[in-house]
Amino acid sequence: MSEITIHTSELLGERYYHTVHKSGLPIYVFPKKMSVTHALLAVNYGSVNNVAFSGKKPPFPDGIAHFLEHKLFSNEDGSDSFERFSALGADANAYTSHTRTVYLFSATDRLQESLGELIDFVTHPYFTPETVAKEQGIIAEEIRMCRDNPYDRCYYNMLDGLYHRHPVKTEICGSVRSIAQITDQTLYDCYAAHYRLSNMALVVCGELSVDEVVAVVDARLPQCEAKAHVEEALAAEPQTIHRSRVIDRGQVAKPIFSIGVKDIAVPADPLERAKRDAGMAILSEMLFSPSGELYNRLYEGGQISPEFSADFALTRDFGFLQISGEADDPEAVLEEILAYLSEIRAAGLSQTDFERCRRVEFAEYIKSFDSTEEIANTLLAFVFDDASLFDHADILKNMEFSYVEGLFYEFFDPERVTLSVVEPQEGV
Amino acid sequence: MIPVKYKIGDAELICIQTDRFKSEFFSFRYTLPVTVETAQQNALLTSVLKRGTEKYASKLEINRRLDDLYSTTISTYSRRVGDMQRLGLSADFLGARYVGGKYGVLPEVMEVMAQLWLHPMRENGRLCHDFVEREKLVLRDAIRAAINNPRGYALAECKKLLCVGEPFALPLIGVEETVDAITAETLTDRYEALLSSSVPTFWYVGALLPEQVIALVETHFPMLTGTRLAYETVVAKGEGDPVLKDEEMPLCQGKLSIGFRTDISHGDPLAPAMLMMNEIFGGSPASKLFLNVRERRSLCYHCSSTLYLYKGVLFANAGMTPENRAVTEEAMLGELADLSAGNISRVEFEAAQRSLDYSCRQLFDIPGALTDFYDGRLLINSDQTVEEYRKTVGDVTREQVIEAASHVRHGATFFLKGTLDGEEDEE
Repeated sequence: MSEITIHTSELLGERYYHTVHKSGLPIYVFPKKMSVTHALLAVNYGSVNNVAFSGKKPPFPDGIAHFLEHKLFSNEDGSDSFERFSALGADANAYTSHTRTVYLFSATDRLQESLGELIDFVTHPYFTPETVAKEQGIIAEEIRMCRDNPYDRCYYNMLDGLYHRHPVKTEICGSVRSIAQITDQTLYDCYAAHYRLSNMALVVCGELSVDEVVAVVDARLPQCEAKAHVEEALAAEPQTIHRSRVIDRGQVAKPIFSIGVKDIAVPADPLERAKRDAGMAILSEMLFSPSGELYNRLYEGGQISPEFSADFALTRDFGFLQISGEADDPEAVLEEILAYLSEIRAAGLSQTDFERCRRVEFAEYIKSFDSTEEIANTLLAFVFDDASLFDHADILKNMEFSYVEGLFYEFFDPERVTLSVVEPQEGV
Repeated sequence: MIPVKYKIGDAELICIQTDRFKSEFFSFRYTLPVTVETAQQNALLTSVLKRGTEKYASKLEINRRLDDLYSTTISTYSRRVGDMQRLGLSADFLGARYVGGKYGVLPEVMEVMAQLWLHPMRENGRLCHDFVEREKLVLRDAIRAAINNPRGYALAECKKLLCVGEPFALPLIGVEETVDAITAETLTDRYEALLSSSVPTFWYVGALLPEQVIALVETHFPMLTGTRLAYETVVAKGEGDPVLKDEEMPLCQGKLSIGFRTDISHGDPLAPAMLMMNEIFGGSPASKLFLNVRERRSLCYHCSSTLYLYKGVLFANAGMTPENRAVTEEAMLGELADLSAGNISRVEFEAAQRSLDYSCRQLFDIPGALTDFYDGRLLINSDQTVEEYRKTVGDVTREQVIEAASHVRHGATFFLKGTLDGEEDEE
């Protein structure tokens, strides 16, 4: 095992420990006196990583990362890991995002046993043609459920508008047709390609010490990993957007919309990326939150519903701003937004707004340390970039107004904006 | 983490003093009946009250003030408890150790809450016409948007079938037909009736001393005379054949909601056993519905049950290819019959016990959830602590679970049939 690094925050009165286990698995332990301990075993592999190598066909069918996540819960002895966790009194779950696959549990006691189970089932794949066929039925229902969700549809249509060929536009679950191509062998191949311990991270927040966690890992994992993970290069994505409008119909009472703005300047350096992410969060708060002029102008004018919101997503491989809501006339809302951005471009951003919104971000950051689940999830957002969770406080504290101003002028290019709308079915 | 009650006028303040959290929680809630006439007005009222006050003239000013208070959030608290409703406001804000001062921002947070609740902006003594008309449109949209969530829609329709004519079946935001009739005058009347008819319960979870919080409440909420409405709910097993209803929508999937009535609610000696029964039936990933209907038979992605113990009703819900509706419904009802017949394995029983134990213990990590637990106990005049409740649930026997299951009666089934072909819908 490598040395243990201790990250400390005087501001928060918190600390966490980082080490790399001799098996190659990075471990992060954030001791916290709460009732619930939350643990995540994350793989730095999500739906976007299923990409072409040098223009070849994708090696695996769409939706395989998510399919693999489902199937890992089945064990060779016929048991289901959900049952095993339940027997320990732990609440287990898993999810697949664009960039990660995460297996997790929350528990109030028998923590080491649950942690052992988490490591065991993720590191022991077992697939058969029969269990794969069964899962195809379950996931097909999940896909149909997502298709019936107009908000999911609006989101993916927005991504389709923003991106020409980036895999982020492909639905995480895949399609009924693509998952029908998945076999036990494709799952084993996919597992072997991506589930390397060095490409994973164990994050624990709660009533376990770093020594206790390491002892559990020692007992479950071999000395060292045979092969290092091979990083893939994503296919090059043009800076332009694919389509400026994507109009669909769905089961909605009133049109819902997602306006996407493509980020074409994703920094390669993790620290720069963290700064950009924090700066964009402040900027979004300044421009689109219920404390901003625009929101209130649109709301008072009856153009948007109260849920109008903006969210910036930034990863190593892609970034975009999503502005979502419900409106009788989404096109008019987009026009208002663009007109407002032009006004700000001429008048300049307000430094008072900047200070207020930075304070909001700072307060939200502190509040997030009241939940072991939130801490573990936030920590996970930093670990694959080898950044410290506590650096975020310094980034916010040292954020300059001029930097956020610069982001504003650079980011909002009307040529990189797409509007996705889901309109009511005819006759509704 | 034990709540302590204090009298302030006719109202109660309940403090859970702790330095466990970086943020703090303050809330007040009224107990209200749910009627066709008042529920919708209550929903509209809370939106209008957040539009502007005597001191903060607009939503913008209110929101900016909350931002200045270190991103304090003040939200409407609206929770259905059996046939009744708890309504008020809740605030979540940073504690004194991060914002400085003896009291932190609690005085300022209470000032904003009091402005919202007691000092709304008025025109000629009435709530502002423009605010009311704008919020009516928002409310109407929210009512119509029920179809945006097919799963929630199916459950709501099943509730209507199961508890027809009872307050539990009424949507808290009302129905579209009655929105137009509300005016600034009628809403002002409703507002004044609400304030004069009862007193709220105040909740505080944080590090301040109770006497400090009492002094602040007395300063900001001088409306503390009246009575708290008694909690009443109809709990009945029902009779007759199940009511069935199908509806079609252009969806890929079918959404099935099966409603059950019981004559067991919170306060009944069998209530903890009913919780266990639901947990074994469909309340967790170790339940019969999840493991047998979803995992073993792969009929659905979601298949679970939810117990509303204050009302004594239970719903089992699933989403499936419409052609599989009959086989799924049969499988779900079969699991209940199996459970009622006493087919509960040791593994199932212990998993349910542990799952409920976890649910109880996690309350200590979430101030809002902890106050909800005690708030509900308060309504049924129970002083049971979370730890005592945990023990009661932990002591439930297998026989009591089987007995609880015998009180469950199928009362309604609603099926939302998807008319789209999921395969054709794909690109």
